[in-house]
Amino acid sequence: MPETALSQTQLPHHRLAVTAKLGALLISVDFELRAPWTVLFGPSGSGKSSLLRAMCGFEVGGPATTIQFTRMAQDGSITSMDALPSSRRDIAYAPQSPALLPHLDAGRNVSFPFEVCSSPVRDSNIVDEALGLFKLHALAERRPRELSGGEAQRVNLARAFATPGAKLLLLDEPFNGIDRATRDALLPELLRVAATRGVPVVSVTHDVEEALRLEAEVIRIENGQVVAQGTARTVLAEEARRIAAVLR
Amino acid sequence: MDLAALGLTLRLAFVTTLCLLVIATPLAAWIADAAGAPTRTTRLHILARRMAQAAVALPLVLPPTVLGLYLLLGMGPATALGRALIAVFGHPLAFSFPGLVVGSILYSLPFAVQPLVLGFEGVPRELRETAAVLGASRWTVFRRVTLPLAAPSFLTAAVLAFTHTVGEFGVVLMIGGDIPGITRTLSISIYDQVQEMNYSAANHASLLLIALAFVALLALYARGARRTDGGRWLA
Repeated sequence: MPETALSQTQLPHHRLAVTAKLGALLISVDFELRAPWTVLFGPSGSGKSSLLRAMCGFEVGGPATTIQFTRMAQDGSITSMDALPSSRRDIAYAPQSPALLPHLDAGRNVSFPFEVCSSPVRDSNIVDEALGLFKLHALAERRPRELSGGEAQRVNLARAFATPGAKLLLLDEPFNGIDRATRDALLPELLRVAATRGVPVVSVTHDVEEALRLEAEVIRIENGQVVAQGTARTVLAEEARRIAAVLR
Repeated sequence: MDLAALGLTLRLAFVTTLCLLVIATPLAAWIADAAGAPTRTTRLHILARRMAQAAVALPLVLPPTVLGLYLLLGMGPATALGRALIAVFGHPLAFSFPGLVVGSILYSLPFAVQPLVLGFEGVPRELRETAAVLGASRWTVFRRVTLPLAAPSFLTAAVLAFTHTVGEFGVVLMIGGDIPGITRTLSISIYDQVQEMNYSAANHASLLLIALAFVALLALYARGARRTDGGRWLA
């Protein structure tokens, strides 16, 4: 697809190298993120969320942790993110727990990144677009405690999509608590929006079907190590066969 | 009852509480590392914070006379600090209302700082982290996430600082003496009346103090029962 090739050349690339000890788990990875959508795939407790945390600049493991995170922008410039505080990494992030601010209603939660953004060039349409994308206009005045798990998760995702100036979008188990039908309707929309904006996405999942549907680049992680990286069809070939066998 | 002493006590407690909220907020924020996302801190940094916390808690365990003695010396002409203060104010701070305020601030400091530290530490770390990565600077995270979520702790801190200052005795006696209308607070007035065997007046003033303290604490606990927040420090 020439369109994909074009958008790939326009995307910022990232490289992440992490060594960390989390309890009994030893994380040791070094990979590049070049695709429009990359899925970190692996069982629970394999260190996937910690890799997103490392990109965000949060605390990961003890003092022996080493993290190297670099961004290669479209113009070829290379920035090391390691010295930058989380707030200046131009990252949009939807954590696994919705982590909504309980004192703000859903609408204000979604517009939070827009309100705190320091960039002078920003377009308030981004908030409205995110509310529409996740069908939240009707829920905008509800407090987080009045939302169901799936609704809270949609607010969480919308907030990430409404972050102005993001150069990387990190989604930790984005469809946690969201029903299949909604997920299947959302997936192509999210792909389209991310591609239009030219923002690469990294999502964490242990759901084979989700990874296959996204036709994403898959980085398979087991016990803190990268065991395979490639297209969903090749990396998850065995899982795909197993699902097909069950259905037959 | 000594109305002048009652008025002075309430004024002292009010001024002290206001000053304490201003002083204790940044101090507690630093001790609790409450700005921005939680950061990895060096051992030295952690040690400095723990030492500050211990120093703030000293008035809880020291006899008020110890605090009073050093305040008296620090405000008097015997020390360089005291001489500087006398030059600034034109009179020694000891045996004056501003002197009482300084003493009360130190004496009630732990009652303002501890609830705020607990309140700040009680804000879930993922809320601060998420706000930070979504673009909020350290100050913005503090102002828009930590502060509103720790708001109930400010009520706890204010009520405790106020009531504790009202109940202060030793420090006030040491640095204020017992000057009617200037440094004679209600607790000292009660002591004087007992000395003069004027038990009825002492009784009235004491009952008033009990009622005041009870109502304030009741308000605090009644609120704490509805919400699980900063009030838990007392519970």
